[in-house]
Amino acid sequence: MRKTGTIWLLVLFLAAAMPGAWADETLVLIVSADSKVAQLDSLEVRRLFLGMTVTHNGERLRPLLNESDPRLKDVFLQNVVSMTDTTYDRRVLALALQGGRSLPAVYTDKALLLKEIALDPTAVSFAWAKDVQHDKGTKVLRVLWHD
Amino acid sequence: MTNSFLRGSITALLVLCCANSAVADHEHGSNEFEVFVAAEAIHGSGQTHPTGDDDTWFDADVVFGLTQHQFRVFGEYYITPEERDLERLQFGFEFAPETVLWLGRFHQPGSAWNTEHHHGRYLQTAITRPFIERWEDEDGLIPQHITGALFESRQPIGNDSAIQISGGVGSGPGLTKSQLLPIDLIDNNPGRHRLSVTGRIAYLPEYVGTSSAGLLFGHDHISSSSPFALTALGSSDVTLSVYGAYVDWTTGPWRVIGANYYVDVSLDQAMHRESFISGYLQFERQLPRKLTVFGRLENSARMQESRYVALFQDRDGDIDTAIRRNAVGLRWDYVRRQALTVELSHIVTLAQQSDEVRIQWSAVVP
Repeated sequence: MRKTGTIWLLVLFLAAAMPGAWADETLVLIVSADSKVAQLDSLEVRRLFLGMTVTHNGERLRPLLNESDPRLKDVFLQNVVSMTDTTYDRRVLALALQGGRSLPAVYTDKALLLKEIALDPTAVSFAWAKDVQHDKGTKVLRVLWHD
Repeated sequence: MTNSFLRGSITALLVLCCANSAVADHEHGSNEFEVFVAAEAIHGSGQTHPTGDDDTWFDADVVFGLTQHQFRVFGEYYITPEERDLERLQFGFEFAPETVLWLGRFHQPGSAWNTEHHHGRYLQTAITRPFIERWEDEDGLIPQHITGALFESRQPIGNDSAIQISGGVGSGPGLTKSQLLPIDLIDNNPGRHRLSVTGRIAYLPEYVGTSSAGLLFGHDHISSSSPFALTALGSSDVTLSVYGAYVDWTTGPWRVIGANYYVDVSLDQAMHRESFISGYLQFERQLPRKLTVFGRLENSARMQESRYVALFQDRDGDIDTAIRRNAVGLRWDYVRRQALTVELSHIVTLAQQSDEVRIQWSAVVP
């Protein structure tokens, strides 16, 4: 009985150590696997998703909003941009009205988003870690949030 | 550049922006196309035509932009039942991130209100704009639309804050019988359009935030060939110098917007100099259930004594220029990108008093 319990504990430990087990609630910042961007700090991510210009090696970065899961966008806006959905929407509309800044492109299809990121080395987006851990076309820059 | 060429260029830009923004799953990374629409009902006491001299019952503000590498094109086309006007058309080059030189017709940066809200009424909490911030075709006293060059830059200070610098130079409006008339990019341009220099310097506590406070400046040479204006002013040339300060601050559910302008008027040929002061203070408070309550006080000094201000009062029984206004209202953002607003106000003009009630629906599409 004691031996069986030890085995179960070991199984649970190994399961917890596997990426798939924690990735469910981990939000990551992603770019193309071909991107030369090595890192973006929090302020750069906020500027980028508010429609402001962020460059890397002279290349203008392009933000892509991942709306394939409503919770994903809420977590991103609350914890990274520090705004509610309504406040964010009004803020980017105001910036568009003030100087014609482009609002971030919105993707509701996860597969299409990952394909677009893989093709564009200037694209920057965010996703659940579990959705990109086996994706060859993207690379994870860093963890933005985890539960 | 001919006006027909401009019309063609604008149509092409609009079609391009519309087409790209309609592509599946919003793949419009470098283009922008939004339409701000509003409809309004008004009842006012003591006015001959309360609906005729301010906001129209319906308007649509079409905003379009293209960004390609460091180049930008941006336009704002305003449509009402009485008016179709290309309010802004700007061609820009971004030298460095958030540092842009624009050429074209733009809103002068020395206005606290108009550089934030422009013609899009959905993004403005109140229905009305302060009288001192009115557009030229609403009997506005200060030139707002300039055609020339505009420099804009936002630079970080320290870890989080920023400084914003904007400067515009170009041709300002001419003066007709009782209205300023800016350069029209689509129709003809009678009259002389002389030099306008405007600017602002502002402090932003957060680089990406909405709060700012700063100083405003404007210097406009205005000419008139109208015999009426010449008789009223005793001069065909007016020089306006505007010095202002503003604050637009958001903290939690509260927002305060305030501005004060000192306007010096020099009537060149009459050897006459006068000045007046005008300002406003607006408070907003967000409430539960997506409601926002607001109140605004507008006041002025020496406007009654100004020959220049009197020129804009055409004594038809309508409200052209107010010396004081108190307004309160409530806005309800009842669904995404749509709002209903009610506003009550008491207005004191050079010749009369009036009470108004306005109801507005405003929205953004798509």
